[in-house]
Amino acid sequence: LICLCLHPGAGQDVGRSCILVSIAGKNVMLDCGMHMGYNDDRRFPDFSYITQNGRLTDFLDCVIISHFHLDHCGALPYFSEMVGYDGPIYMTHPTKAICPILLEDYRKITVDKKGETNFFTSQMIKDCMKKVVAVHLHQTVQVDEELEIKAYYAGHVLGAAMFQIKVGCESVVYTGDYNMTPDRHLGAAWIDKCRPDLLISESTYATTIRDSKRCRERDFLKKVHETVERGGKVLIPVFALGRAQELCILLETFWERMNLKAPIYFSTGLTEKANHYYKLFITWTNQKIRKTFVQRNMFEFKHIKAFDRAFADNPGPMVVFATPGMLHAGQSLQIFRKWAGNEKNMVIMPGYCVQGTVGHKILSGQRKLEMEGRQILEVKMQVEYMSFSAHADAKGIMQLIRQAEPRNVLLVHGEAKKMEFLKQKIEQEFHVNCYMPANGETTTIFTNPSIPVDISLGLLKRETAIGLLPDAKKPKLMHGTLIMKDNSFRLVSPEQALKELGLAEHQLRFTCRVHIQDPRKEHETVLRVYNHLKGVLKDYSVQHLPDGSITVESILIQATAHSEDQGTKVLLVSWTYQDEELGSYLTSLLKKGLPQSTA
Amino acid sequence: MTRECALLLPGVCAALADPRQPGSDDTCLEKLLDWFRSMTEFDPSVSLVQDNPCLTEFITSILALPEPSPSILSFTLRLAGILASSENRFQHLQQEKLLVRLFGADGPLSSTVWEDASVRSGWVEGVHSMMHHQPALHFLCNSGGIDVIFALQGDPSLFVASSASQLLVHMLIFSVESETTKPFGAKDFDWPVCARMIIKRIEDSLQSSSASQVEQSLKLLTSLFSSCHSRWTEVLWLGMAKQIESFLTDETVQAQRVLANLLLNMAWSPVFCDSEGGLWALVTSALEHLTPVQVGPLAVGILRLYKCPQDVRIQALTVLLQPMDCILRAASQPLEYAGLLDESVSDPATVESLLSSKSSCASLLCQTLAHLEELLSLVYLRVDLPYTSLLRSLMTILQFCNGFLSPASPLGSTISRILINCFRVQSSALDVLAALSERKGCDTLIGSLFDVLLAYLESPNTTPTVLKKTFQATSKWLVRLHELSCSTSQWQQTEKILADVFLVLQKRLCSPCWEVRDSSLEFLTVLIKCLRDQDEFRQSLLSSEVPRLTENLLEDPESYVRASAVTAVGHLAFITFFAPELPVIGNQYNKENTVAKLQEILSKDPEGFPRRAVISMFTKWLRQGCTGRMEDTERFVSRVIQTVEHDLDWEVRLGGLELVEVFCSQTICQLGLPGCSSVPVLSAVTSSIHQNRSLQIFCRAKLFSFLFRSLCDCDKPVGQRACDILFALRGNFYPTGTPRDSQETGELPAGHGIAWLQRTLRQGSLAQNFPTAGGDGVDFEDPESMMLALGTIDLEELHDELNRSSDHVEKSPQSLLQDILATVGTIEENEADCY
Repeated sequence: LICLCLHPGAGQDVGRSCILVSIAGKNVMLDCGMHMGYNDDRRFPDFSYITQNGRLTDFLDCVIISHFHLDHCGALPYFSEMVGYDGPIYMTHPTKAICPILLEDYRKITVDKKGETNFFTSQMIKDCMKKVVAVHLHQTVQVDEELEIKAYYAGHVLGAAMFQIKVGCESVVYTGDYNMTPDRHLGAAWIDKCRPDLLISESTYATTIRDSKRCRERDFLKKVHETVERGGKVLIPVFALGRAQELCILLETFWERMNLKAPIYFSTGLTEKANHYYKLFITWTNQKIRKTFVQRNMFEFKHIKAFDRAFADNPGPMVVFATPGMLHAGQSLQIFRKWAGNEKNMVIMPGYCVQGTVGHKILSGQRKLEMEGRQILEVKMQVEYMSFSAHADAKGIMQLIRQAEPRNVLLVHGEAKKMEFLKQKIEQEFHVNCYMPANGETTTIFTNPSIPVDISLGLLKRETAIGLLPDAKKPKLMHGTLIMKDNSFRLVSPEQALKELGLAEHQLRFTCRVHIQDPRKEHETVLRVYNHLKGVLKDYSVQHLPDGSITVESILIQATAHSEDQGTKVLLVSWTYQDEELGSYLTSLLKKGLPQSTA
Repeated sequence: MTRECALLLPGVCAALADPRQPGSDDTCLEKLLDWFRSMTEFDPSVSLVQDNPCLTEFITSILALPEPSPSILSFTLRLAGILASSENRFQHLQQEKLLVRLFGADGPLSSTVWEDASVRSGWVEGVHSMMHHQPALHFLCNSGGIDVIFALQGDPSLFVASSASQLLVHMLIFSVESETTKPFGAKDFDWPVCARMIIKRIEDSLQSSSASQVEQSLKLLTSLFSSCHSRWTEVLWLGMAKQIESFLTDETVQAQRVLANLLLNMAWSPVFCDSEGGLWALVTSALEHLTPVQVGPLAVGILRLYKCPQDVRIQALTVLLQPMDCILRAASQPLEYAGLLDESVSDPATVESLLSSKSSCASLLCQTLAHLEELLSLVYLRVDLPYTSLLRSLMTILQFCNGFLSPASPLGSTISRILINCFRVQSSALDVLAALSERKGCDTLIGSLFDVLLAYLESPNTTPTVLKKTFQATSKWLVRLHELSCSTSQWQQTEKILADVFLVLQKRLCSPCWEVRDSSLEFLTVLIKCLRDQDEFRQSLLSSEVPRLTENLLEDPESYVRASAVTAVGHLAFITFFAPELPVIGNQYNKENTVAKLQEILSKDPEGFPRRAVISMFTKWLRQGCTGRMEDTERFVSRVIQTVEHDLDWEVRLGGLELVEVFCSQTICQLGLPGCSSVPVLSAVTSSIHQNRSLQIFCRAKLFSFLFRSLCDCDKPVGQRACDILFALRGNFYPTGTPRDSQETGELPAGHGIAWLQRTLRQGSLAQNFPTAGGDGVDFEDPESMMLALGTIDLEELHDELNRSSDHVEKSPQSLLQDILATVGTIEENEADCY
């Protein structure tokens, strides 16, 4: 079982997942993420390390995407439409529905900003999505005759899944990003006791014990409320899907409870589709949402309305969700410019911002920003950062290991130092090996696969006929010939094996010469030997054959006179390997000489 | 380096060197290195390090840290390498012994941080960057660096291992090409010291008993021969040829794939392919001894070569065709077909056993098929392919896969059992089939080929991916079928096939699976594009249910499908109501109805794809002159731009601008303005009248308001396109030489509000969108005002502003340095948040 992280950069960077697993001769790529911090080749994993092994489509048996975040699926259209992978891709139904929205959203932003040409097109995203096979939770999907995969609920975001990959009796579980505590709209990750040979777990928050998400949410609501109360405007830059829906639910319920009147707008045309999917995949959300669904759909917002560009200039308080999320182009940046000068207003950044973007600058505290045309924009509005990301913390990771009971653990997607701490903890508590390879580093894990063998009915019958009746509790030793053919193993009787394989039988005999001092005639010596053996080996059938030789079971003894010394007789002893023990005993017996009395 | 950056740099260096600071974002460090690389690339002078002593101070302080973090140490190694890329700066750094301490035996190499892959990677990259002058080369050779690099070729990190290998290639080439004094082939020729060290190690590892060492050296030679085409590579090769040749027959060496790749790269090098040396004999031997799977890439690579002995080519082709031959023989009754090949290169039993094994059958076929597809894509193929037999073999494979053929021969039945429902092989075979349609010579089989294709189109077992490929192959062969029936006048067969295709298409258009509906629509569009001039095609299509079903799909729940339906309906229009003579059966197609439907999608569809499809279809119609007389077109364009003006999707707005561009150039062309070269130059008088007419048309159609507003669009490409169009218009209305008012805004005539427009645009393109309340007295429909606006507004300046996008701020080194400084003291918790 071999595992290789293909995330670019030689360290153990956070983000942009892409892992290659070789299990019992099958090659599977787990996630195909991109890094948004770069705008050149570095944003995609370096697939040339895979193409060294021949054509991608031939080499890889399948690609599995754990969830729709771009650091897990952003390079997929590039991989399938530009690098040339043409094989199957698996993801859950919600991921398949939502993934293209995010990819399209990001493509638009990228192309808008840079006028880039070396990026995938809408058509490529569509063609890529057409190759995707959607899977249900807990459904065993047969990729080919040997390889099967199965998805488990992972929390984190809508449609996120952990995947079990199984070939024969070897298996790997890949967690993707997961969350062991339920949140406002999603449940907790869960897996059965599948005892995989390897569990590949993300470890973003490997040592952090996070303050509860509830606290962060309360904090968020408080800040929005205060700003609106004093007549300010709140800008929340988001990407089209994911965090946005989560915050919408939060604000919607809060507005309802507090009976607030300030308008909330959502600026992209995508909201309808996004909400549509949240409604469609209601079974993927948590119990509470599912229960209340009958009375009222959480995603049918009463207070949140579509935004029009002209609204930005309206007087009075309001809350606006606008894309893109890093304030680097488009509508969110335009609104930001309008509102930045007023200290009553607030911008809340709910996620990671790439260096160079306005989002990154204001988060690092810069308040005088150079805009295009050397204009200086003075930021007087309040800037808040709120993290709502839902990853498992150290406790959660341990909990998952306890659930799945893996034989080995491999940590990815985390910082080296933090992972080291967790690694020790895991090894101590569970007594399993824990690996934390650097990107580009191959980890080889040896498994002890138990290989099923078919036994021919004939052999079984024969064995039971000889021995006692089979007892389920007692292991029984069986003899037979093992035939390995066409990837299967069969135990058959030697005769059957010979017949099947068209082989002729050969007898293997051991021979040995024993010299005996005896001046008598040869046939007399033989007689002496016969009598001696008959006396010693009472339980065996010792025979004196007419041709002058002696047999004991399969052992044959013949006597000749020594060519030079007539007083010495040479006994030629030969036996088959089945009677190896008896043969050795007999020779040692004869070597001691014949007893005098028998004469 | 700008003064601002020079002022910021010391602070940044201090922050990076401070172990108490949390590590900087990886991307910042990478971008910082990019910046240094760009500064040093064309400037060998020492000034960068001399004027910025903070750089050497930074390196010194990192070296002084007891436990530097791996990422910052890796950064330092790479930075030092970049700085040392010129001899002057190298010496400068050497004076302070920095390079020895970083790259020498007592540096990070011997400390515990070396265990971190990023440090090793930084070390290799640092060395690679500095390896551009002899002092660096000697420094490394003398410090024992070569041993380190050789060892790193086997590093557990693939990234480190491959950069180590690349570094060795670079050093070898550099050493030979910069240090050799005597000509190659001269009696007393000897390799330079550093090259000799490297070559010795390559030779040693080729003789080593370790398979991985042999493989590393073969890989190294592969990249050497592919990147360097000097004569000395042959001298090098001759010294190792015997040893390497022995690997071909030595079964204990497991490097066949690498070996085949080495030979291929040699064949591509002019040094080897021209020479009398034993390359071709070796290639021949490889083709014979290695298995088809190992040797496939070599064979196809050989066939791409321009220079290659014909017998080797034929042998390579034979290797590729062997599996296809085997399939054909396995499927046929004895003596029915002769098979593909007269003789085989390697033992046919090998191919047979590979094909009859479950584990290797599909992979061998997929690889072979992919190689054949590659061959068919070549314009010049220097060997003859047996197209008919190849097609027959492909059809056999496809029939094995869907269970339509189960031959009596033991081999045939084994293969057919393995291949049944194997979608990988199906996809690959269909790809080759599509490529084969462009080659002449397999027409006799076309009837039975369509039987196979139709079986795939009809079968419920065909997966969406395979179905898409079947559609692609079918469309190509339908075009071929048409060409054929033109020459043989066998229309009946064509009509029958078309009828069958549309029948199955009808079914597929109603599939519950959106992928299938979408592929079906795309297929239909392709067919219309290729065959719309053919009577039989139009007849068959219009007499089927396909057009009606297509129109129904305009309301599909899936936006991708709606978009494809829009495109298909748009193309259908070319053979119905836009056709020069309306077909008899096509008269139920109502133009107004369809246009209204598309208009509605453009204004109401909640998603971008269908709206984008509509606008691009409208532009296509306009280009093809389908929108009627000039007045109708004017009304049409005007209505469309008023719809798209407020679209939330900038690509739809951009599409609107494209429509405007086509409309403008068509109008100007029709009215004969100088902008259109096809019209003879008119006298000044008529020209000014026409000018007026087209200007009036543009004003009436409300183009100017759309264009000027677009200049302030929050999405840059829209503004840029609008600016380009206005530029072109100005060129038409003010041809070069005609005076135009380019006075300062203050002197502009009052009453038209152009001064206001100029001011707004100047701010608007930068800061905010165009005021919705309309212009302060600007009448966008007044020709005189617009003429004035075109003449006076400084479009050049706007153009420059728009082109200097926010990238310039985002990408500037100054911004980067500011960002790094600003993050000092803040906690980078948000790293973990991702989208």
